[in-house]
Amino acid sequence: MKRLVVALLAIYATSAHSEYLYGITGNMAGTGHTWGMNIGPSGSQSLKINGVFYQYTPVKNLEDDMLVHVRNKKVGGGYIFSSTDDWSGLQGGIPITKGFVIDNLPIELWGDGSIDIEGTGSVVDANVVYSYKYNNDCITPMSDPSCSGYIDAVLSMMGESKIEVYDPLADENIADVIDEKAELDEEVQQEDDEKVKAKDRLQRMLSGVNDSILYANVTSQNLLMFAMSRNNNLSPYYDKRLAGGEYEETVALNDGKLPDNKKGARVGLAQQLLHTEMVNAQYNQGD
Amino acid sequence: MTHVPAYATDTPISGLVQTRCLITTDTNGVFGNPLPSKLSTASADGGVVPVVRYDVTLADAYLAKVTTPTAFSTSPSLSDSVAWTGSTAVSKTSDAAMSGYEAAKVTYGSTTQFDLTKAGSTWFSSTATAVYGVSKSFPGGSYTAIVLAECIAK
Repeated sequence: MKRLVVALLAIYATSAHSEYLYGITGNMAGTGHTWGMNIGPSGSQSLKINGVFYQYTPVKNLEDDMLVHVRNKKVGGGYIFSSTDDWSGLQGGIPITKGFVIDNLPIELWGDGSIDIEGTGSVVDANVVYSYKYNNDCITPMSDPSCSGYIDAVLSMMGESKIEVYDPLADENIADVIDEKAELDEEVQQEDDEKVKAKDRLQRMLSGVNDSILYANVTSQNLLMFAMSRNNNLSPYYDKRLAGGEYEETVALNDGKLPDNKKGARVGLAQQLLHTEMVNAQYNQGD
Repeated sequence: MTHVPAYATDTPISGLVQTRCLITTDTNGVFGNPLPSKLSTASADGGVVPVVRYDVTLADAYLAKVTTPTAFSTSPSLSDSVAWTGSTAVSKTSDAAMSGYEAAKVTYGSTTQFDLTKAGSTWFSSTATAVYGVSKSFPGGSYTAIVLAECIAK
């Protein structure tokens, strides 16, 4: 069981994104010519030194010999960084400044730093600055297997945890989920049935539409044939021509008088009386 | 006698010379105005000293010539004379062996010349002071002067 937990954590950790941050120190030689290497933000891990810059002003007589060493001890012996300026026979008073690119050496290798002088003379206005890069991925040691203390943290966590045998089928939550899933399956089945029925109805509707379209086609074809045949039926009338010549008046008024139509006058008068009676009747409805 | 024509061709020769002396402005200068009649880059006068850096990758091949200004490049209209003074000094080096540059420098007029006998970087700072007329106030406006830095092959 312990191995399983460790493996899972390792997989999770390898998917984590690691991004470096960069910074520079203040003047490490501001209070003296020796200094410790407690640099970088608190809790930062994987800190690597990638640059050293220093400046100082030598104070010496021209004829004096003087060597100035700016260096850091290496943990385990020797020096991890060392730069020497030979001022022997040279004039002091002018500041010297130098910069060095360091190949990302881990802070764990860097011992105390110092400005050491051999010979006669001194240095003033010393300024030593380190540039570095780091990441914060290891503030929690278990976040990355490469972090120091990763294994200890994992084992410590497991030691504090109470390991119990777990039966998922006895878990009420899981049983509830299984029941809910069964109900959900039943609902899904019902929905499927409804979908099948709806599909049948749709097919029937579509078949009715097809019949209507077919009927409409037949009707439109019949109308088209009727229009075509009517054209043929009417054409003979259009083609008739009147015979040429003059057509004489055949109706003649015998005595030259046209008498009034008394019968028509009576009918007209009766209609007028009736109309007047109807018009007046609408005003008598309120009586 | 048969005449034989002469044939000729021009063959180009090309080459590229990369500079081994690079001049960079490290700090732009600023005039202070401690008196109405005085402009100065000295920090004591409220100014900023201009600094120029020479990066030399070939030792003993170049001379550094730094000339302090003797006139304003831009200024309001001036009706009186301006008296200029200036100086240039080594302010910083990247090698202890360059410490002798300052003692060996040669000054003529407003120009200071340094023999760059070592490879590396050298910073030169220049001071410039302008005094207008005889205790005459500078007219208000913007004043600009130029420090000329040159790298001359020996």
